[in-house]
Amino acid sequence: MKINLKIITTVLALLMLPLAVNAMEMDDCLGCHSDADEVGEELVIDGDAFTHTVHAEMGCVTCHESITDEHPDDGEAVTSAKCLECHEEVHDEYMTTSHAENASCTDCHNPHQVRGLETVSGANMNQQCSECHENSDVLETHSTWLPQADLHVAKIPCITCHTATDSYEVVLNITEKKNTSTDNEATSSFPSYADLKNYSGEKDIQALIDINEDQHISLAELRTFNLNPAYKNLILAGTLVPTEASHNLGSHDNRYDCTFCHAAGPGSMQTSFLALPTAEGTYSRMTVDEGAMLDTLYGTPNFYMTGSSRSASMNILGLLIICGGFVMPIGHGTLRYLTRKNRKH
Amino acid sequence: MSDNNSENSKVYLQPMPVRIWHWLNAFGIVTLTVSGAQIRFPEYISLLGSYKSAIYLHNTAGFVVAISFTLWFFYYTFVSRTMANLYVPKVEDLKTGILRQVKFYFLTYFLGWENPHHPTPDNKFNPMQKSVYLAIMFVMMPLVSLSGIFLTNVDPLRGLIVMVGGLKLLAGLHFILACSLIAFLPTHIYLATLGHTPTEHIKTMWTGWEDELEEHKEETDNTELATSR
Repeated sequence: MKINLKIITTVLALLMLPLAVNAMEMDDCLGCHSDADEVGEELVIDGDAFTHTVHAEMGCVTCHESITDEHPDDGEAVTSAKCLECHEEVHDEYMTTSHAENASCTDCHNPHQVRGLETVSGANMNQQCSECHENSDVLETHSTWLPQADLHVAKIPCITCHTATDSYEVVLNITEKKNTSTDNEATSSFPSYADLKNYSGEKDIQALIDINEDQHISLAELRTFNLNPAYKNLILAGTLVPTEASHNLGSHDNRYDCTFCHAAGPGSMQTSFLALPTAEGTYSRMTVDEGAMLDTLYGTPNFYMTGSSRSASMNILGLLIICGGFVMPIGHGTLRYLTRKNRKH
Repeated sequence: MSDNNSENSKVYLQPMPVRIWHWLNAFGIVTLTVSGAQIRFPEYISLLGSYKSAIYLHNTAGFVVAISFTLWFFYYTFVSRTMANLYVPKVEDLKTGILRQVKFYFLTYFLGWENPHHPTPDNKFNPMQKSVYLAIMFVMMPLVSLSGIFLTNVDPLRGLIVMVGGLKLLAGLHFILACSLIAFLPTHIYLATLGHTPTEHIKTMWTGWEDELEEHKEETDNTELATSR
């Protein structure tokens, strides 16, 4: 019995060893590499940003294999894994695009800060693109062919059109309307976690919309939020994002056809999420009732895509009104025909 | 009817600017209807080719109709100065006029009676027409044009759009107003066939002249004489 216990304890200890070693190693690394005075600006890692990446889960030495316990005293050159060693499919896809001639993976993605699509939202969506592509240039080139180019560029992330994805979902963000004291002009921006905390008080910010705190936004909760006078400066803005981000960047021919987005198929506009800022500066998503985007008025008062987010009840009302216009010609016309003899004089 | 006779029994009811405005509007509104339908239901309607061309056509036609509306407004208000007289129902119209006209259209017309209203250049519309046109020209047309202008400039006018209740409310209002104006078309065209001949009123809108029965002409002359005194 004693032996068995010993074996079990040893096996458990051995199983937990790699986890302990990784955690220790990352902490050891960050001990020096989060201090610019110690390692220099080029080698400093933002610990807060890194610990929230998927890469952090693998630990530092998974990519920097040559590092030993003696680092940096051993004088060994530090090796870094190549992105394609893990991301082969993305690499193959990306290398066929003209972007590959101008930017390597790390020009757009800092491996120590990279996050999944779901944790990026709001103003962060176009961060990578805007490193090279000036907003004014983007606006100018799109204005040559795209109706309401200013609106498209302001509201839709670049990757919605410039990646080869054909599955989309709507992401709602809370924006804050601010009256600047100088010129009394209202501007809206994406509020941070701390900004929203001012509204939610002691409760978590999700309680602003998710009243029953079930991690899901119902249509009723959306309406309550939109109609709450206390939140009149908080406005829900919607945008269309790809379900998955492919790396086949560039201009895809079918995007020049407006109905690629502006047509309501049966399943279109049904899936949506609410993105809320987190204390760490990323975003977390919460599911929203299916079809909430198609609610006549109060679901998402400021999200409307011509041709795709039309409401069925409005269509019925419109049809009834138009049919009403035929009552007079048909009804009166019939009686007119039947009484035609009375007017023959 | 000889030429001589027709000269004597005709009244110049629709001046040239009004006729140009009317047909420009008619063409514009039909274009807006077709392109609007394609914009809202792109997967069912593609009469005008690509979605983009439907949008550009809709915006252009909307712009033309809005300008034409403005010209109409200035023409009647400041040039011919007959806006209030023609379009605003008088107390008499509201008290007895509308009822009299409704009675004619829905009852005495079928019995073969004459229309109690005889159009003159100063009093073109019967009390029912006045009320309907007042709602259309002073409420619906300005609102549909204004909401259209907002919808074509969403980004620059975002602050205002949020203030009036949001993009969805605005798009909904534009759609319902458009449907109401479309609904008016069949009624409008049908009522235009209720002259002494089915094409009488339609011809008037093309030539400007309307046939007038001799006894009505006398009445009109007397009224004009009385007014001028």
